[in-house]
Amino acid sequence: MSKQDVVIGGYAETPIRLRTGRSAYDLAGEALADLLVRYGLEKGQIDGLSVTTALSEASNPFFAVYMAEALGLTPRWLNQGGLGGCSAVSGVARAMSAIRDGQCDCVVVLSADAPSSKWQVSYGMYRPEFQEVAGVVGPPATFGLLMSRYEHEYGLDPEALAKIAITQRAHAVLNDNTVDKLRKPLDRDAYFRSPIIAAPLRVLDSVMFCDGANAVIVASEGRAQELGLSNLIHPTAYAEITNIGADDPLTGALRTGTEIIADRLWTQAGKRPSDIQSFHPYDDFTIAVMMQMEAFGFCDIGAGSEFVMATDLGFDGTLPLNTGGGQISAGQPGLAGGGLNLVEAVRQLSGDGGARQVSRRDNALVTGIGVIPFGRNWASSVAMILET
Amino acid sequence: MTEQQNARPVPKPDAYVPTAAFWDAAARRVLVLQRCLDTGRFQHPPRPVSVFTGSRNLEWAEVSGRGSIYAVTTLTLRGPETEGRTPLVAATVELDERVRLIVNIVDTPAERLVIGARVELGWDDLADGVLYPVFKVTSGEDNRTNSGDIHAT
Repeated sequence: MSKQDVVIGGYAETPIRLRTGRSAYDLAGEALADLLVRYGLEKGQIDGLSVTTALSEASNPFFAVYMAEALGLTPRWLNQGGLGGCSAVSGVARAMSAIRDGQCDCVVVLSADAPSSKWQVSYGMYRPEFQEVAGVVGPPATFGLLMSRYEHEYGLDPEALAKIAITQRAHAVLNDNTVDKLRKPLDRDAYFRSPIIAAPLRVLDSVMFCDGANAVIVASEGRAQELGLSNLIHPTAYAEITNIGADDPLTGALRTGTEIIADRLWTQAGKRPSDIQSFHPYDDFTIAVMMQMEAFGFCDIGAGSEFVMATDLGFDGTLPLNTGGGQISAGQPGLAGGGLNLVEAVRQLSGDGGARQVSRRDNALVTGIGVIPFGRNWASSVAMILET
Repeated sequence: MTEQQNARPVPKPDAYVPTAAFWDAAARRVLVLQRCLDTGRFQHPPRPVSVFTGSRNLEWAEVSGRGSIYAVTTLTLRGPETEGRTPLVAATVELDERVRLIVNIVDTPAERLVIGARVELGWDDLADGVLYPVFKVTSGEDNRTNSGDIHAT
């Protein structure tokens, strides 16, 4: 990548709330209307749209088209992102390709979901016959298995997971969009009082489904300037992979696509882990945050506990982590959660971090992980480096 | 192996690929899994093609039912599949045929629920005689470990 001709030129995010009774369409409308007002845009100037598939509207195979209709948009390029928690970041990358292909000039990458109000998911495939019979239904069960294996191979310090949860919660307290229920500080005792639901996984290692929406504008740099967008963020590296170990049933459950894409990412950006000024990893569970630190080479594989304990992960620390609280602490608006940390990274690089503004904002690393495969960790991995 | 007091959800066979052979064999207390005829390797869950070659040259073949615990968790989450069964032990079991299953471990004291522990096959009655594989940690000398260390990377 590393070409600087396409930019992220703006962002919007609704508050994250529990059981709003609202639909993904209504939340998306709020995000879009906010985006237009914030940047003085007219909706007719949007000629491309990427829509993240929503859990709450999963029964509709035409969701993106219905979304265009709901929002009164006529995109010349439309993408429906089906990579779960990777859909927002991968939506930016696909939009960049479409813009470079001349298909469109100004894309909104939109993620909205309301799984705490409406649930329409049926995964099918092998799950009813060969996974759910054993009670392994939701993500916590799979991550409990994963954590047991991590503990066995590398050792797992629960204090490190507590520190991730506590640090992100401190950030969420500073975020006006955080769901009310989580907008209070978390201390070590409260973390360790949190029930174990899939040993060794605790409730407070996990996200809570909420409702919400977010959006970013992706445009050619020239078009962004014409539109009067002033805070231009450059995605300078992107890498993606799905279903590693496809033909090896004995692929280690701790092996991730993230470690496979990391080298490509660093090569494209011409950077090393120590160059990264803030880290916004997809965080469905605390262990996923730690495993991504390892995969990107912030520390060795298996050394995540020590790294977390030795590193100041606060917004004013040496490696600011999910400075908006992440999904674990701000709330996970379903699959729109993949846009949560993206928007926070863009917000920080734009200097809009407010009380949680990071001091160094030349770059940020944002990731996605998506979909839980059979007996491993996550099926899709994406990562993007943003630079000002 | 265990007495179930309440009927559990029974999955529908052949829902995404033909799987009736698995369920028919299970009714006879025989565990069969999908095997690629070109490579002789097992794969699970069942697929429409061999994940090794992409061909449909597949068969169902009996496995030994012996293996070891690859990963293990105790679930206390409530849901249709765990109702009345929590705390429920779920595990990834690696069979000696070099393939992994997600199953329940039953009739095993907590201190023996460790990664690498050898397990053997048993059968659970989901409802009305529909049998499903479960495992328990073996008590004899066959308690050597394999999965715990050999496939650590």
